[in-house]
Amino acid sequence: MQMTIPSRKEVIKDIKKRKGLVAAVLPIHYSRALLRTFDIYPIELWGPPKVDVSLGGTHLQTYVCSIVHNALSFLKMGALNVADLLLIPHTCDSLQGLASILIDLIKPEQAIFPLYLPRGQREDDLTFLADELHSLYAQLSDFTGKHPSDEDLLAAIKREEMSDLLMAKLYKKKQLMGINNIDFYRLIRSREYLPAEQFSDLADEALQTSGEPIQGIPIILSGIVPEPMEVLSTIDEMNGEVVADDLACCGRRLYEPGTGTDPFRRMAERIIYAPPDPTRGNSIEERVKYLTGMAQNTGAKGIIFYDVKFCEPELFDLPELRNALKEVGLASINVEVNINNPLPHQVATRIGAFLEMLDS
Amino acid sequence: MGLTDSLKYYWNVKAMGQPFLHWQRRQAERNPKVSSRWRTDILSPPLRIGARTKELVSRHYLEGRYASGHRPVAWVTSGGPVEILQALGFYVLYPENHGALCGARRAVIDISSEAENSGYSIDICSYARTDIGSVLSGKTPVGRLPKPDLLLACTNICQTVLHWYRVLARHFKVPLILIDTPFVYTKASDHALKYVKKQLENSIPICERVAARTLDYRRLKEVIKLSKDAAELWLEIIGRGRHRPAPISVFDQFIHMAPIVEMRGKKETVDFYAALLKELDENISRGIGAVRNERKRLLWDNLPIWYRLRYLAENLGEHGISVVASTYTNAWGELAPLMNQEKPLESMARTYIYPILNQGTKYKLDTMKRMVEEFQLDGVILHSDRSCKPYSIGQIDQRNKLIQEYGIPALLLEADHDDPRAYSEEQVASRLASFVEMLDD
Repeated sequence: MQMTIPSRKEVIKDIKKRKGLVAAVLPIHYSRALLRTFDIYPIELWGPPKVDVSLGGTHLQTYVCSIVHNALSFLKMGALNVADLLLIPHTCDSLQGLASILIDLIKPEQAIFPLYLPRGQREDDLTFLADELHSLYAQLSDFTGKHPSDEDLLAAIKREEMSDLLMAKLYKKKQLMGINNIDFYRLIRSREYLPAEQFSDLADEALQTSGEPIQGIPIILSGIVPEPMEVLSTIDEMNGEVVADDLACCGRRLYEPGTGTDPFRRMAERIIYAPPDPTRGNSIEERVKYLTGMAQNTGAKGIIFYDVKFCEPELFDLPELRNALKEVGLASINVEVNINNPLPHQVATRIGAFLEMLDS
Repeated sequence: MGLTDSLKYYWNVKAMGQPFLHWQRRQAERNPKVSSRWRTDILSPPLRIGARTKELVSRHYLEGRYASGHRPVAWVTSGGPVEILQALGFYVLYPENHGALCGARRAVIDISSEAENSGYSIDICSYARTDIGSVLSGKTPVGRLPKPDLLLACTNICQTVLHWYRVLARHFKVPLILIDTPFVYTKASDHALKYVKKQLENSIPICERVAARTLDYRRLKEVIKLSKDAAELWLEIIGRGRHRPAPISVFDQFIHMAPIVEMRGKKETVDFYAALLKELDENISRGIGAVRNERKRLLWDNLPIWYRLRYLAENLGEHGISVVASTYTNAWGELAPLMNQEKPLESMARTYIYPILNQGTKYKLDTMKRMVEEFQLDGVILHSDRSCKPYSIGQIDQRNKLIQEYGIPALLLEADHDDPRAYSEEQVASRLASFVEMLDD
């Protein structure tokens, strides 16, 4: 399948041309709709991989993960000068620390907006998140001088919901589209920087294509982010087919459409009731149930836990999660990477051996 | 709760254990002995209160050993709001304190290996690894830990505790109460305070159900008052470090802080700290300092290195350096003014949202600067603790600012609070030697 996906650079250039503002957004959960009503375009920052980390290393210890190291290095090298603001959701202790040192000690030119994400799925958590989004709205109002109405917000929410629905459809149709893993994830991950309407057009186009179904060994990919992306081409080469994922940057953000007419509550609902995610405090039981269901629905034979080194939210769940999955007949492996390095040969070999084992 | 368990508890704890521990303490107080390994040429003899600390801590773990079936048991994070549990009669265990104890007794490698062998990464917090290893293997230097009937995780010290307690909840199959405390970058928002208060309110029926009794608000007020009194006394104790020579070092504080962490809301904790304060005042009047020849005074930032307390005290003491204050021990006292028994839940929400670990890096830098001024210190040692990211991230810039903007000598020391495998004595010794040399210049 041949599709032209605009690059981040092209998208940013276009936003600037339209006098829009750019928000560099760190992982994982936030409301795209809220930013868009202020004519702020979110461009997500999952690292990025392979940057000179020496600049971040002058502020962060070596035991902080490569996503945070790289993000800070990227900022310090001036690559984020195009961003008018940084939004840093409180995803983990390291991202909280990054937000704090940026606000208090490093003080970059861009404004920094933290966002606290509650760690439960209770009614109080929902109310708090709605209030927190309200508070962010007030801060963005001060920043931009704009005061979007509830109707504006609801329209933006619905646009994002449509885009998310199309993304879910892409996942469902993936095996029939004749698309390999790397190309599929290039398409899915363009949601990290494309405006919703542009992504929806692209998804529509992709959904209309069909190709020779790929009959690889069906697996689920779990973790934060599939970086370096070579991991996907490695899986392609080894005849693996990622039939679903539990990746923070992708599948864990398949937000269901909201219901209410209060825009803040609706935005909060979408995040609170998203697929299980350890960074939002979901239990191991919820994750086991979710992954087991995912495997049953897609026919996946095994799971690759592809983790970024030092990522505590992921690492804590792994032993219990893998044991529970083993009990229901789902094999898994765990590999750890530093997103700044090329995919280690050892990791490729382990993935290859795992796929062979599943195939036999 | 079972009759047999209660009988066991009364026999082992009340009839035998406590009187024995009390007798042991009296003996130690009457005939104070200083270990032959104690460097009396450098450090003053240990504080007399040490015998009482040992009694309190031993009694606490002894009670825990026989608590199951007699009293409801809760495992709580160190910054957790404990007052509701205390008022309901729970036996409260702090796995972090147990981890610290394992660290001080050098049992961490053995115990945490049990967790690592079960798949837990060496990159997760060493307290958590030690606790999980202890749960999986039953290994502990304190005999036996009681199984929890309830878990309470409060995110005001880190997010790690929630992941850790999720593992415990799955293992023990008991309810887990989450008190989520939004991070305070500058000032806690009204909606964040409301959120914490609401969670505290909602935790009460769960605690009541597990304890099988109703919360008596009068008792809750008494417990809060006792917590506040103990925290105020602790703050005064820390404040005595302003005297020259300082009658107590942070290495002593690390040992004697156990009750303020794991026995808040109890009268014996208040009495204990009143006695410690009295001893310090006596030492001040007699001119006794923790370090015999105090020439320089330092601040310690972050958690202790539990397995090398004595080494650090002696290494620095040898050069006439007394580490007299710490942002870490200060954290257990500085929130005392926020506690108000007349507004129990409201004041608990405020108290438990504002620990230093739940506040921005500027607050910590300001605290360090303030303490350096108030305690008239010559420098700061920042322990970059591999296992505690919330405390450690920001230290590189904080050190630079202390040096460059405030002219305060500062040293970043890489280690881990509990796991000696992340500690290099040679490297620490050489860095301390250079720092000491610089302080003398």
